[in-house]
Amino acid sequence: MELLEVKNLSKHYKNFDLKDISFTLPKGYIMGYVGANGSGKTTTLNLITGIVKGTGGEVQIDGLSREENEQAYKEKIGYVGDESYFPDHFKIKHIRTILKDFYPTFSADKFNGFIRNWNLPENKLLKDFSRGMKVMLMFASVLARDTKLLVLDEATNGLDPVMRTEILKLLQEYVMDGERSVIFSTHILSDLEQIADYIYFIHKGRTVLYDAKDELIENFLLVKGESAKIPPALKKELIGLEENAYGFEAILPSDRAELLGSVFLFEKPTIDQIVIHYIMSAGK
Amino acid sequence: MKIIISNQSELPIYAQIREQLKEQILNGQIPEGETLPSIRQLAKEVGVSVITTTRAYSELETEGFIATMQGKGSVVLPTDNNLLREQYLLRIEEGLSTAIETAKTMGMSKGELTDIFHNLLET
Amino acid sequence: MRALHFMKIDYVLTRKQMYFMPVFFVLAWVVGRGVTEGAMSLLVTCSYTLFVASIFSTAPFGYCTGKNRGFLLLLPATVKERVAGRFLYGLSFVALLGVLCAALWGLYALMGYELPLWTVAIGLCELAVGILMMALEFLFFYVFGEGKGNWQYLSNIVRVVPGMAMFFATNGFVGEIQDMAPAGTGIDLEAFAGKFMQAGVVAIMVSLLLTAVAAAICVKVIARRDYA
Repeated sequence: MELLEVKNLSKHYKNFDLKDISFTLPKGYIMGYVGANGSGKTTTLNLITGIVKGTGGEVQIDGLSREENEQAYKEKIGYVGDESYFPDHFKIKHIRTILKDFYPTFSADKFNGFIRNWNLPENKLLKDFSRGMKVMLMFASVLARDTKLLVLDEATNGLDPVMRTEILKLLQEYVMDGERSVIFSTHILSDLEQIADYIYFIHKGRTVLYDAKDELIENFLLVKGESAKIPPALKKELIGLEENAYGFEAILPSDRAELLGSVFLFEKPTIDQIVIHYIMSAGK
Repeated sequence: MKIIISNQSELPIYAQIREQLKEQILNGQIPEGETLPSIRQLAKEVGVSVITTTRAYSELETEGFIATMQGKGSVVLPTDNNLLREQYLLRIEEGLSTAIETAKTMGMSKGELTDIFHNLLET
Repeated sequence: MRALHFMKIDYVLTRKQMYFMPVFFVLAWVVGRGVTEGAMSLLVTCSYTLFVASIFSTAPFGYCTGKNRGFLLLLPATVKERVAGRFLYGLSFVALLGVLCAALWGLYALMGYELPLWTVAIGLCELAVGILMMALEFLFFYVFGEGKGNWQYLSNIVRVVPGMAMFFATNGFVGEIQDMAPAGTGIDLEAFAGKFMQAGVVAIMVSLLLTAVAAAICVKVIARRDYA
């Protein structure tokens, strides 16, 4: 069963085009939405939440589109952004009231539990919160009600490793029952890479790669060696060839491994390495 | 039951999980009839993706180590002694093959190699 | 219902400003007393209060810029409900100050001041103009946004000029009446008081209708817009 279906999503801006983004995310899985800054990650996520209106294509969450029932559609989404989207001069109590007013499934008990656990100050204005506190408050506000899809836009940027680990656990707990899914965008994969089931990689508004993460890693090799020894047949297969005075590094599709012979060193790449070499080959 | 994932390992993560579970089933640390944690539970505990643990379990299933029943989870099957023997044999062959390969690379003769082998057996 | 919840959010957003409103009201009373006295001073006080009301009713737009707006946009509701909530805020805010004015009127009546009915009618017209100006400013903010740079100046002018115009127009009018009265021009304004009252009520109704129209236009204009 698919939880999130994105079909030919497009958005036209004066100097940027997001084109034909299509993917599905089944219930109970996590997708990493990857790309360089300005590649269209935020635009895609904003199109999914409905903050930005597309110039083409459609999005369905749990079989429902925003056009069919905007209210029900938005209730299914929990969104956490890279910076606080709450007004600066609010306190936690204001947010609690508003959430209670708008979301029938909001649980004040759950919310208060998160606030206590994460030591968020009840009586401070949000503008005096640290970045980490603001992020955790956003998480508290979405996890305290029933949602089907978590949309995270660079939500863990600039957080310390302890918090990042905590968030990873939260996300995995969220998809535990196999009914809910997570899509998160990021430009640094590292720890999040571990828990992602699928990877969608865009560059300059176009799809580059989209696959299960394990497949993606198996489909490529990270190749290193001496530049002078690269035969022409191999050179044209290498992706994002990066040369320095002492050698080179590049990505090679695994099914071209026979071109390597025994001269070059090759190893299992990380998603980051695949992404970086692809971006190099496409040009910034 | 214990699972330790290494990011440095050349083995993909699903294979690391598979091998470690297999080892513990074969040496009896995880006894027959024991229910393994659910795929999602394991993914959460180990901090890896659900697809990864799914693959590890399904490969253990095809190899006959576990059986997954709807609603009951994955149960460790009795390790039949032949299977156990086969697994160990495979590992012995693998080890010896590596030794032979290395010997060939440095141009060592058959006699020298068997001498080393016998010497090692004695100790 | 959700429109009412959005109205509530606007009050929370602008809660600091609410503390200052009584101060402005006292100031308006002082201004009225400075110009003249009795019922006439009340008219000046009302026009000043409604002038202030129409300016401050746009405050939620100022608090809802950029990232602060994200939260509102994510709430499960339609553009229609969000806009309706904002207009309800504007209406209720102007009405609240209208009520304060009415209370002052009552206080004066209790204190034994002579308050001709036609001045009450003028007060109603002022309220109608106050509502209308609020609606026009909202329309402007929705259509053009809060603006940046030069737009900021322009939007400030839009906020202040109509209210100022009403304030000076009322003052001028009060001055005219006062000039006329002692000269004994023979116009008995109180004789037309019934007509004045009718006009006042009609003016309020028209202003409410136009506010609804303005809200509908806002919904139409921003429905397809990003971050709206």
